[in-house]
Amino acid sequence: MVGYAFITPILLFFALFMIVPILWVVFGSFQQGGIITPSEFVGVENWRSVFGDELVRTTVRNTGLFALLAIPGVIVAGLVLALALLRIQRGEAVFRAGIFFPVLAPPVIGALMFLFVLHPDFGAVTLAMRTVGLSSPSWLGDPVYALPTVAAFEIWRGAGFYALVFLAGLLALPKELYQAAALDGANTLRRFWHVTLPLLKPTAQFVLVMATIWNLQLFDSVFVLTDGGPVNRTVTVVMYVYRSLFAFGNVGFGYALSMVLLVVILAVSLVQFRLLRSRRQ
Amino acid sequence: MTTQRLSFRKGRLASGTTAYVILIVASITMVVPFFYIVSTSIKKTTQLFAYPPDWIPRIPFWGNYSTLLGSESLFLRWTLNTMIVAGVVTILKVIIDSMAGYAFAKIDFPGRRVLFILILAVVMVPTSAVIIPLFLLVRGMGLLDTYWALILPPLANPVGVFLMRNYIQSLPRDLENSARLDGCSEFSVYFRIILPLVKPGLVVLGILTFLAQYTAFLWPLLAVQDETLQVLTTGVAEMKASIFTIDWGLVSAASVLSMVPITIMFFMFQRYFSGGSIAGALKQ
Repeated sequence: MVGYAFITPILLFFALFMIVPILWVVFGSFQQGGIITPSEFVGVENWRSVFGDELVRTTVRNTGLFALLAIPGVIVAGLVLALALLRIQRGEAVFRAGIFFPVLAPPVIGALMFLFVLHPDFGAVTLAMRTVGLSSPSWLGDPVYALPTVAAFEIWRGAGFYALVFLAGLLALPKELYQAAALDGANTLRRFWHVTLPLLKPTAQFVLVMATIWNLQLFDSVFVLTDGGPVNRTVTVVMYVYRSLFAFGNVGFGYALSMVLLVVILAVSLVQFRLLRSRRQ
Repeated sequence: MTTQRLSFRKGRLASGTTAYVILIVASITMVVPFFYIVSTSIKKTTQLFAYPPDWIPRIPFWGNYSTLLGSESLFLRWTLNTMIVAGVVTILKVIIDSMAGYAFAKIDFPGRRVLFILILAVVMVPTSAVIIPLFLLVRGMGLLDTYWALILPPLANPVGVFLMRNYIQSLPRDLENSARLDGCSEFSVYFRIILPLVKPGLVVLGILTFLAQYTAFLWPLLAVQDETLQVLTTGVAEMKASIFTIDWGLVSAASVLSMVPITIMFFMFQRYFSGGSIAGALKQ
């Protein structure tokens, strides 16, 4: 019975700030009002307006496109950096600090740094390109470049974290296998493909799920970099959820949209778990 | 045998050069934006637009920093708020999560499995999907615009419970059993035996929690409106979102200073950022 005494604090916070909000979102998505007027049951009306909403489709498309750019980007960059860190004999601490630096930056502060680097008048990139006679596109103001630029920012910001996780996974691998493979004459690439990669699957699974959950919730950096623009090319689902609380006051719509986010993220991460698990056998 | 080993070493040497090139390029890419914002922070805003650019200003202008740290500015207050919130959340979380982790790892009680699976199931729920009810709930409790609004909701995140459970489960049972035979209560087993043994785990959880709070943005943006209660992220972002002309010089200095506390802490705890300690934290 003493066990309950130890888990009471976490259960209290967990119930109040996790379970209650989750149930609230589920039930709220079938209701309207509730902030100023009393709430009433409206069935699937919120859902109908969510699925019929042009901007919802835009935000889902933006978020999906962003995820397709940022998730593979950040994972590949993290893995390459981890393999490089593993190879070197000297200076690991210095490189680790350098690579990890953007992880320490809050996304909004990192985004502010990028604003300075990319600013059309005084950005480092703009100035450097002008110095060599090139004209720099408006990275964040151009409808074509804006979303990939945000993705590039998130890769810059996240790669160091995934590099450390991959490094942890790589360090935990049995060394004997490498040596055996090396003695068998397998070259670096083959060793990586046939020995390292299969053994790294649990780490890769963890990284993929984390990267998916985080990137599908993109908000902070977009808030600073573009605030959703230009012409809604970078509005994300979370940004629309946030706006639906303030700009529209239509909270039922916000609940239904939150549910979309919730269900999509849960479904995608479950599929990822499944796929990676069955492939291992 | 000798030739094989030799070729193995040669292969390592060659790829070692590639590794250094990759790491040097990556490290420069990672820190260049910071150095550029440092250089702009010691320019007057009008100087920013000069062409050809002054990459390193010959005469540094400290005005942005003195404005930011002056009595008119709330910047130091925001820094203090971030430190208070992140510090308190970290301490409470390390206590709460290690207690729960101990119970789930070492104590038998009815419902243990069910409760643990329930917590496990919710780990993947994205926090931004429950941000609206969380806001209305905290508003209903009358906690908006208080430190409590910033401190309490993050404590519900259950990831740390897993971390601590995994750490504690990997400890040998002999120690705690002999302590129990000596008549120690569960509480003193937890406090005197378990906690000292899982200190590395506590530090890793503490670092991850502090960093998460230091970088948090969406929840503080909703939870506090009052200017004096802003944290670094929301305060500095607000400087840029100002409807009046943006004072770029001030924004750059604020961004630079926002990185100072967390960078100092990184170097203090750097050895815990090694691959090994994270491996321990993530091991199932």
